Amino acid sequence: MSVGDGDRDRLPAPLRSPRQELADSTAHGEVYLRRLRHAQLQLSLLALVAFGAVFGVLPLALYLLPALGRLHLLGVPLTIWIMLVPLSPLFIAIGWLYARRADALDAAFRDLVEK
Amino acid sequence: MIALAAIGAVTLGTLGLGAWGVRFARTTSDLLVASRSVTPWWNAAAISGEYLSAASFLGIAGLELKLGASALWQSLGFTAGYLALLLFVAAPLRRFGSYTIPDFVEARLRSPAMRPLASAIVLLIGGFYLLPQLKGAGIALQAVTGAPYWTGVVIVAVIVAVNVAIGGMRGITYVQAFQFWIKVFAISVPACVLLIHFGGLPDRVALFGRRLPTAAARGVVVRLPGAERVQFPAAARITVGGRVLSVSAGARRTLPGGVDIRIPAATVMPVAEGTPAQTGAQWSRPVSGSGASSPLLVYSLLVATFLGTMGLPHILVRFYTNPDGHAARRTTVRVLTLLGLFYAFPAVYGALGRALTPQLYLTGQTDTVVLTLPRAAWPGTVGTLLGAVTAAGAFAAFLSTSSGLLVSLAGTISHDVWPRLRREPPTSVAVRRRRFRAAALTAMIIPALLALLAGSIDISILVGWAFAIAASTFCPMFLLGVWWTRLSARGAGAGMIVGALIATAAILTGLALGDPETTVAGALLAQPALVSVPAAFAVMIAVSLRGSATTAASAEMLALHAPEGLGLRLADDDLDAARDRGDSVITGR
Repeated sequence: MSVGDGDRDRLPAPLRSPRQELADSTAHGEVYLRRLRHAQLQLSLLALVAFGAVFGVLPLALYLLPALGRLHLLGVPLTIWIMLVPLSPLFIAIGWLYARRADALDAAFRDLVEK
Repeated sequence: MIALAAIGAVTLGTLGLGAWGVRFARTTSDLLVASRSVTPWWNAAAISGEYLSAASFLGIAGLELKLGASALWQSLGFTAGYLALLLFVAAPLRRFGSYTIPDFVEARLRSPAMRPLASAIVLLIGGFYLLPQLKGAGIALQAVTGAPYWTGVVIVAVIVAVNVAIGGMRGITYVQAFQFWIKVFAISVPACVLLIHFGGLPDRVALFGRRLPTAAARGVVVRLPGAERVQFPAAARITVGGRVLSVSAGARRTLPGGVDIRIPAATVMPVAEGTPAQTGAQWSRPVSGSGASSPLLVYSLLVATFLGTMGLPHILVRFYTNPDGHAARRTTVRVLTLLGLFYAFPAVYGALGRALTPQLYLTGQTDTVVLTLPRAAWPGTVGTLLGAVTAAGAFAAFLSTSSGLLVSLAGTISHDVWPRLRREPPTSVAVRRRRFRAAALTAMIIPALLALLAGSIDISILVGWAFAIAASTFCPMFLLGVWWTRLSARGAGAGMIVGALIATAAILTGLALGDPETTVAGALLAQPALVSVPAAFAVMIAVSLRGSATTAASAEMLALHAPEGLGLRLADDDLDAARDRGDSVITGR
C-alpha cells in the first residue's frame, strides 16, 4: 500500500540516488514511480469501493425495500431523509480521508527520493 | 418589476466585476500566477460557481415537481461527480498542467492527430450543455415578465456572447466565487423563509400520502400561453373562459390558450400531456418499478453524472489555478462540501411547489417552480421580493455557466477548428484575438437556435445528455490515460468515437420515438450511459492492446504522478512561459 522501508529493501541496492534515477528516467526510476502510481491507484479504488458499497447499493436497496417509504420521521418519509441528509457528509468524509492518505503517499515518496 | 431590477443588478454586477477583474490580468500567466496565491476555499467556491448551472438552480426542483423524489438522484450524482474527479484525476491533471482537454489529449497520447477529434467532442458536449442554460433563460424571463420564450434565450445569448468576445468573465476566480455565494443565497434564503412561513411542509397528503395534487382552498385561475392537450386524472368541473366544462376521470381535452381557466377548490389538478399524475406515495418514492424512477434509469443517470463531471470542457481549466496537486485535492474536497450545501435546497422548492402551486402541472411549466413559487405561494411584498431573489440567482447561474462554456467553445474553434480548416501557419496575437471574438459570437448561434426548438424538453433531461456524452468519451480517456501506460492514441480515439456515437445516437433515437421511458430499451435510449460508458472503455482497452506494446509513456507518467518539489518536473512558470510563447487556448490570445 505505501512506499515504505519494506518496499525499498526489495530493490537492488541503488548505487545512485532515487532522485538521479528518476531524473534520468532509468529503469530503476520507473520502478520507483510505478510503485507510487500503483499505491495511489489502490487507494483510489479502495475509496471507490467504500463509496460504491453505500451509495452504489442505495438505489437497489430503496427499490427492494419500499417499506422504508412508509416509515415517517417528522412527517417526512425516511427515504427522503436518506436521500437528503447523510449522503453529502459521506462523500465529504470519503474525500477527506482519501486526500489525507494520498498526500501521505506522496510525502513518503518524497522522503524516499530526497534521502 | 422588482425581479427585473434584481436580474439587471446581478447581470451588471457580473459584467462589471469581470471587466474590472480582467484589467488586472493582462496575460495568461498573470491571470494564472495571480490565481495560484488563491486559497483552496476560494478556488472551491469558484469551481462550484462555474459548475452550478440552470440544471442545478431550476432543473432539479422542476424535475422533482414533475416526476418526484427520483429527481434527487441527479443532485447526488452532480456532487458525487467531484468525488470521482478527486479520486482519479484531480491531482494528476493539475500536475500534468494542461489547460484544456485537447491539450491533454495531444500531450498525453503524443499525437497531434488526436486534437481535432477531442475538439469536436468538446464542441458536442459544450453545445449540449449550453442549450439548457439558454432554455432556462427563456423560461425564466417568461415567468418573471411574461415576455415570449424566445426573448430570454436571445437576450442571454447576446449578453454572454458579446461579453466573452470583448473579454469579460475570463474565468476570474473571485468573480466565479462571488457567483457561487449569490446562488447559495438566492436558493437558500427564500426556501428557509417559505418553510418558516408555512410552518414546515404543507399538504403532506399530496406530498407523501394517497392524494393527487389539488387546487388550493380559494381555487386556482390559470391562463395557458397556447392551446394545450390536458389529461384529467379525476372527474372535474372547471370553467374555461366563462363556460363550464365537465369531464370524467381519465378524459383528455385540448384547452384553449389565452383565456382564464378556473379550477375550483379541492379539484384534482389536470396535468399537461407528458406529466404523470401521481399520488403522494408514488411521487415520494426515489426508486420504483417503472418510468423515470426505474432502477435501470437511476443507475444510468448516476453513471453519467458520476463519471461525466470530469469530462466537462469548462471544469479542467479551473483546476489549473491550484498551486499543486496537493492543493487540487484539498480544493476538490471543499467543492464536495460547498455543493452539498447548495443541493440541500432545490428539493424544498419541488415539495413546496407540489403543495402550493399545483397549477404548474396544468401548464406543464414545472421547470419554473423556483421562480414562480414564492410569489404564488405568498402573494404580496414578501413573496415578490423572494421571487426577485430566486430570479436573480437563476440569472447568475445562466451567466456564469454559459460564459465558462462559451470561453471553452470559442477557444476550441479559434485555436483548433479554424486554422485546420484554413490550413494556415501560426498567426500573430492580434489575429488570434480577433478570431476568438468571431468564434465567441458564432459559437452561440447553433445552441441558441436549438434552444428555441427545445422549449418542451426539461432542463434536467438536456443536461443529463451532456453528462452522458462526457462520461462516454473524455472520462474513459482520462481514467485510462492517467493510470494505464499502454493507452494508445488509436485506442483512445476509437473509444471516444464509439462512446460519442452510441450516446448521441441513443439520445436522438429516444427523442425521435418520444416519451420512451417505460421499457428497458426506452430507458437506455433516454439515458444511455450504462451502455455507452462500458463500450467506450472496452474499445479503448481492446484497440490499445492490439497495437504494439512500445508506449511506456514514462515521461508522461512522471509528469502526472510525481509529487512537486523534487526538481523532477518543469516548474509551472516554465510551462506558462512555453505556453505564452506558443499560444494559449483558453483566453484566446
